[in-house]
Amino acid sequence: MTSSRTATLQWASLLALTTITFQIAQSGMSGWGFILPILLIILIKGRIVIDRFMELQGVAGPFRWIVLGWLITVLGLIAFAFHLTGDL
Amino acid sequence: MAAISSPLAVPTARRELPGDLAMWCFILAELAVFGIFFITYAFARSANVAMFDESQQHLNRTFGLVNTFILITSSYFVVRAVESIRHDRGQACARWLGAAIACGALFLVLKVVEFVAKYEAGITMSTNTFYMFYLFLTFFHFMHVILGMVILGAIALKARAGGYSRASHAGAETGAAYWHMVDLVWIVLFPLIYVLH
Repeated sequence: MTSSRTATLQWASLLALTTITFQIAQSGMSGWGFILPILLIILIKGRIVIDRFMELQGVAGPFRWIVLGWLITVLGLIAFAFHLTGDL
Repeated sequence: MAAISSPLAVPTARRELPGDLAMWCFILAELAVFGIFFITYAFARSANVAMFDESQQHLNRTFGLVNTFILITSSYFVVRAVESIRHDRGQACARWLGAAIACGALFLVLKVVEFVAKYEAGITMSTNTFYMFYLFLTFFHFMHVILGMVILGAIALKARAGGYSRASHAGAETGAAYWHMVDLVWIVLFPLIYVLH
């Protein structure tokens, strides 16, 4: 598969995941079944952008892990904050 | 080449960091700032869940969805621009960047429409803590989109003039990294502010 076709597949995946987030948002759900899938989708989308669009996968040095670590830390603390309110 | 057919497939060789190291340091600083605001929002919400959730219902999620599509698409165009310059196609690179800038402009127009609607409804940063975060974070991101468009514009002009080549295009990679950072921040911001409750 050429790199442009791979990029197109990644773009389509990001759009599909965004649509799923919107559908979950419109479903009227709440609690674990609502928040965790959305956070997981953010993580997957973020990893596609970090590893493929930003081209950090396979790069020498700590930058990939710093940016991925940023994403995981932010999402983890958001989950913890929602857990404190009883939403999780 | 089956290993790269998946959106998350793992390339094997270790490569140099794309673009300029200084820009990556700037990107990390920007991510740290946005990250602190995202986490502060989440914990501020825990102090007044009912007010945050009620205020969130007045946001236009469809605008957020469309803007997410627009920014993701602009990032894809930037990927294609970098790919073009790696094949010595400066004119194609400039065209892809022009398309990405157009997406950025559309994003800004939709955000202005959203801001005006909130202003006309009497909503300001003083209305409540939720709207303070909503207006501040989205406007802060809005300013980053403008800066990103300026950077992409400068790269497009240089690409069009033949200033980049297959062997020398670090400037294009540097600008692309910044634009993808703007996209990455929105990927967290949209569900956090518009969706999670």
